[in-house]
Amino acid sequence: MHIHNRFVVKVSGASGQGINSVGDTISKSLKESGLYSFGYREYPSLIKGGFASFQVDFSDQLLNSAAEHCDILLVLSVSAFTAYLPSVAPNGTVIHSVIGLQVSEQQQAILTEKNISLIFVPAQQLVKEAGGHPLMANTFLLGVLWKLLGLPSEPLLQVVRKQFEKKPDVIEPNIAMIEAGKAFEDAGLIPVELPFTLNSDLVDDIIIGGNQAIALGAVAGGVRAYYAYPMTPSSSILSYLASISHQTGMLVKQIEDEISVAQMTVGSSFAGTRAMCGTSGGGFDLMTETVSLAGMTETPFVCVVAQRPGPATGLPTWTNAADLLLAVFSGHGEYPKVVLAASDPSSCFTLTQVALNLSEEYQIPVILLTEKQIAESHFHLKDLPASIEISRGLVPESELGSLSNMDRYKNTESGVTPRWLPGQCAPTFDANSDEHLGDGSLTEDSGPSKEIFERRMRKHDTIAAALPEPELFGEEACDVLYVGWGSVKLTVLDAIQLYQQTGGSKKCSYLHYEYLFPLKTERLEALAQTAQKVVFVENNGTGQLAKLVRMESGFTPDHIVLKNEGRPFFVNEILSEIQREEN
Amino acid sequence: MSCTTCSTKTTTLADYASPNALTWCPGCGNFGIQVALKQALVALGVTPHQAMLCYDIGCNGNGSDKIGGYRFHGLHGRVIPLAAGIACANKNLTVVMEAGDGATFGEGINHLAHAVRANFNITFICHNNENYGLTKGQASATTRKDIPMNSSPDGVTSDPVHAQRFVLSLGVSFSARVFSGDIRGMNTIFQAAMKHPGFSFVEVLQNCPSYNKTTPHEWYQQRVYNVATEGYDPSDRAAALAAAEDVDEKIATGIIFQDPHSVPFMSRDAVRKDIPTELTQEVQQYDVSQFTAGMR
Repeated sequence: MHIHNRFVVKVSGASGQGINSVGDTISKSLKESGLYSFGYREYPSLIKGGFASFQVDFSDQLLNSAAEHCDILLVLSVSAFTAYLPSVAPNGTVIHSVIGLQVSEQQQAILTEKNISLIFVPAQQLVKEAGGHPLMANTFLLGVLWKLLGLPSEPLLQVVRKQFEKKPDVIEPNIAMIEAGKAFEDAGLIPVELPFTLNSDLVDDIIIGGNQAIALGAVAGGVRAYYAYPMTPSSSILSYLASISHQTGMLVKQIEDEISVAQMTVGSSFAGTRAMCGTSGGGFDLMTETVSLAGMTETPFVCVVAQRPGPATGLPTWTNAADLLLAVFSGHGEYPKVVLAASDPSSCFTLTQVALNLSEEYQIPVILLTEKQIAESHFHLKDLPASIEISRGLVPESELGSLSNMDRYKNTESGVTPRWLPGQCAPTFDANSDEHLGDGSLTEDSGPSKEIFERRMRKHDTIAAALPEPELFGEEACDVLYVGWGSVKLTVLDAIQLYQQTGGSKKCSYLHYEYLFPLKTERLEALAQTAQKVVFVENNGTGQLAKLVRMESGFTPDHIVLKNEGRPFFVNEILSEIQREEN
Repeated sequence: MSCTTCSTKTTTLADYASPNALTWCPGCGNFGIQVALKQALVALGVTPHQAMLCYDIGCNGNGSDKIGGYRFHGLHGRVIPLAAGIACANKNLTVVMEAGDGATFGEGINHLAHAVRANFNITFICHNNENYGLTKGQASATTRKDIPMNSSPDGVTSDPVHAQRFVLSLGVSFSARVFSGDIRGMNTIFQAAMKHPGFSFVEVLQNCPSYNKTTPHEWYQQRVYNVATEGYDPSDRAAALAAAEDVDEKIATGIIFQDPHSVPFMSRDAVRKDIPTELTQEVQQYDVSQFTAGMR
């Protein structure tokens, strides 16, 4: 164990070798055993081949981040061995099933220098000897891993039984393979002594990814139409919603392109249902004219933007958080909008519902940012938070009769105007993308244009007044105040805890932004008065939140920690950053 | 969502009147199209509250605030997916969208292809005046070859899109062609299109007195004929393609093709087809515990 109170297992192989399935089984079995885990996925943008991994960090305390190095590396392919050998921690173990694996001089040097044991498990052959199907080699290796971890078998067997619930005839053969794997002997296989206390209360907790939480947030929030075009890392919102659509009754439709996706979302939303769409940066680029349309016609619009590194196709299956300013400045012209950023499944679930409410209450586009790291990692959670009440801001049916012709876009102090729906017996209006008067009639006159623009923009201030300040984790009085958004929260909070548990002396706090636009800076500026140092942490290359804060308030942090290489911040990296502040 | 006024009062043309003055050029085909649309809505008893008229950008879209009914005047080339989103959310609305040939076959041609495939229940009035009028007479995808236009003074070198061939080849469930000078014909066709369950494509051969000097009002008047003569079977797709082919000498108008077994999008969707309520009536909080149960 190279990190305090955390053990790290990485499963690696070629894409298509069932890496995710093995990782998933490990996470679930750990929970079943009474341990917390965090599952981090890496995979290439191809269907078969390359190298992919599923890393499980686990502990008897809650974890929400990954470490850079692993204690045990399970290897199923040559390319994975080459790619991931450098990620094994000193004194770690590599278990591989690659027949005739050639270890280069350079690789041997790594093994020797780091004192890493390399163990060959002829899984294919042993599975055959034990009477199993070649596909069960992964299950056999799980048995070997479980023996090495010294964890009780029953939880793993439970998970496997549940996994094959619908194919009962393969349950017993798979269980036999686990047993065969556990019986495998090798001099290098010395069971690890894990210092964790197993907590049986965790059995009923959930393992969930960010995209599933967004999808369930949409279900809970009354979304009845979800439109999307496949784009990693947002695609699993679409596929998950489609997989449960017979239970939810939601219209889930894959559309020809993101332009149509955005337009259909605006259309359905204008008609009066709750609609939502999801994409990544490149798809969102195509949507931005429609974001502007929603702003102008004051039609609710909610889009989830699951970030991945750009520009262009970039690193399609990797992570970063570099589309904050794209979201804030999306669409031509000036109009109010809201940008939110989730960090974990709980905030994915809640903020999806918040986005739906804000979009209807203020009749604006709302962009919910996530990252591949949030969307596709596996999180351990007690449960999702309680759903929040739906608030639509529509004119009540009983008051439709008192509406007059010019009410839809009339001048109001808050900027928010009465909204009602086509089909309702009330004055009809034109949702006009041209500048318009109260009933939507076109105007090109300067006076009304100015008045209407100013009325719409007043919503920005009204929204800003209603949104919360960023959330503080830790004490107000601190030596170092870290500030971030998105998945950075997960790593920084884990790193601060690790720092404190390992005797760190500096008082560190973390200020987290979920509500990014309209931006609130009062709390940040107040905390910065007392903190010795303010450090922004962002998973992008230029410090986009820092720029936004400076633009809105003039505030400049003492230091910005950035990372932009397709990988998330690893917990040891942030720990090193914190330790550096001691000097 | 119907009130006593809607259910007891007879809808008249006056219900679709607007206080705003029309701004089209004198002699523009849009005047007749708007009149015919109002007549068709009234004839079908569609009240302004049930009418959802969607407009693209262009001369026709400038009429969005000069007619009654609920309207959405969207972005250039994007009216099809916008209207599709509305039609999916509330099937009780009569959704009509209008766009020019620039939006339909230029900026948004992909949307047309996929909306035809999906068979969304919408009536599409395609104003084909073979040029971009509002931006002062540039060539569109339907401008005839070699015609000099603003921005292509030496003549258009690309071959024009043949509107009927395009939609028929994609398997459209309803396709018609009418001439903007034939108000009675448009009224009849618009009604048939609105009654059709599925995507109804109505190409209006529209004169543009300002910029289309090649095919003016009289040019069409001399060439159009009603295809609904004895023996024409509009459910025969091959016959429809043949009838629609000529756009130079003898131009067929009327219902070119109609699939009598058309199943609109929402009736094809396995999840939605048997649900009696509309998406607009289902917005409420839903319990997600049945889904998290599987994650435990």
